Amino acid sequence: MELELKNISVKLSNKEILKSINLKVNNGEFISLLGASGCGKSTMLKTIAGIIKQNEGSILLGGNLADKIPAHKRKTVIVFQDFRLFPHMTVAENISFPLKMMGTNKTKCREKAIELLEKVQLKGFENRHIDELSGGQMQRVALARALAAEPTVLLLDEPFSSLDINLRKNMRELVLSLQKEYKITTLLVTHDQEEALTMSHRIAFIHNGQIEQYDSPENIFKHPVNTLVADYFAEGVYIDGDIIDNKFISGLFTLDANKDNGKYKCLVRPLAVKVKKAEKGCFKVLDKIFQGDNYLLKLSNIDKKLNLESIISAPVDILEGDLVDVDLDKERLIFIPE
Amino acid sequence: MSMKDTNSNIPLKLFLYLIAFTILAPLVILVLWTFTSRWPWPNLFPTSFSLRALEEVFAPYANLLPTLVSSILLSLTVALLSAIVGTMTARALVFYDFFGKGLIKLLTMAPNIVPGTVFAMGIHVVFIRMSLADTLVGVIIVHLIYTLPYSINIMRDLTSSIGQQMELQAYVLGASPLKSFIYITLPLLAPGVLASMNMAYITSFSQYFLTLLIGGGKIRTLSTLMVPFIAKGDRSIGSAYALIFVLSTLTIFIVMDRVIKRLSFRNKEENL
Repeated sequence: MELELKNISVKLSNKEILKSINLKVNNGEFISLLGASGCGKSTMLKTIAGIIKQNEGSILLGGNLADKIPAHKRKTVIVFQDFRLFPHMTVAENISFPLKMMGTNKTKCREKAIELLEKVQLKGFENRHIDELSGGQMQRVALARALAAEPTVLLLDEPFSSLDINLRKNMRELVLSLQKEYKITTLLVTHDQEEALTMSHRIAFIHNGQIEQYDSPENIFKHPVNTLVADYFAEGVYIDGDIIDNKFISGLFTLDANKDNGKYKCLVRPLAVKVKKAEKGCFKVLDKIFQGDNYLLKLSNIDKKLNLESIISAPVDILEGDLVDVDLDKERLIFIPE
Repeated sequence: MSMKDTNSNIPLKLFLYLIAFTILAPLVILVLWTFTSRWPWPNLFPTSFSLRALEEVFAPYANLLPTLVSSILLSLTVALLSAIVGTMTARALVFYDFFGKGLIKLLTMAPNIVPGTVFAMGIHVVFIRMSLADTLVGVIIVHLIYTLPYSINIMRDLTSSIGQQMELQAYVLGASPLKSFIYITLPLLAPGVLASMNMAYITSFSQYFLTLLIGGGKIRTLSTLMVPFIAKGDRSIGSAYALIFVLSTLTIFIVMDRVIKRLSFRNKEENL
């Protein structure tokens, strides 16, 4: 279902957590709310679900005002980071709890629980107790239980952060395939930029209770609106300069750039820096750090007092102390207006 | 490994035996005294036995059975009310902020701080004015005042350790606040409810002075029947009553345990 937040402000114990948030999510869309911890993204989820009341603004579900609908009637289901499975119930009872609340009869409840268990790849687990499950299995049960509630909007609150890395990938794929199958509008709260980039249709980057940018993963990565957003995805070196008549001019270099005239910062991320070994190169390799698939080189130009980083793929003959020539990949440079 | 285990268990076992002894030895002495007619000092065992105490206690004029039944019903009522009010008060103290919260926290302990007789005399005057003296309701209320500090404190710790997370999860899954409380919170609170009911029951069941004063002699409980014999120094009859006291309380505790476990795990049996 379509979800819209209009000027949502939330104050908790006299502290402004959300500052007039506007957000529109289309039916069936997968949106990530990305930001550092404490930025207000979890509060936003709880406000959408109706557990926290907003001080100002309104929430629309499918075009209708949802402000007066209590949490248990909103059909906006949260899957929490700590899963919150009910310890005094079996797996099947947990999953059919929302159905029981709707007044579904016992046989139907059990049938549905078994069907959903199969969807989350936990066939045969219906009579298990919660304390017999591993973290990944708990996550699957929590997901199945959320689906049983037939949510119009599914809210995932950092659901993968308590799982180990190998499991995380499987769970992400499972969530995506279920989301596609059920076509549920989904909001994922995460602080992991890779998770947000790979999973979502659009990303809302939140900082200090405000949405800094709301865009597709590709756009938000390639065209961040400010340094906050840019730094969150991949850090680099900023070079100040001006764009005049489609040329970026700085004290270090001049480049073609198709932008309006004005003051800009040019962000040079490590992947934009190409190096070539050269006897009379103007950069010196200070450090070479092995990162598995690639190496990170720390470069320094003593004349121009410029430090750069470069990522290069594995087999390479450059060593610490070598002199290199640097070439910038224009496609990967990012211009952020000041 | 196994050597170490057995070694470390010895002090623990000794301790357990010691505890068992301190509980069981007085019971054995109670049984002995019940059947004793003469036990002069310094004999280790009674010199003669009789059934006099049991005959007296179970005699029709002693009214034991009706008194025992009404006494149990009174204390069960107090236990149930105490658990309900305790659970609700604890919830309010843990989850909500309101004016005078600190004062209420302190006041929940007050009946245990003020000496019993002082408290009883004061409340008697108040109850006479409210025409609650000499009534069953008055006795129930005065017992509640004494049991609530225990119930509230037991429930407060448990309520804050369980928190509201599970309840919030139930809300967003479509359970109304009332249903979330019944299906989720109450089963999680069950051990505390049981402990708080047991505590309230035993506190109420053993009240003598308060029951006598506020009940004005009209409300008769096992304690008001038993204590005069102990005070008078009739050890045999006192012991017989004490045995009935212990056995009935134990039975009630077992029944409460079963009933509460049944109720809190009802979902499991009835649902799937």
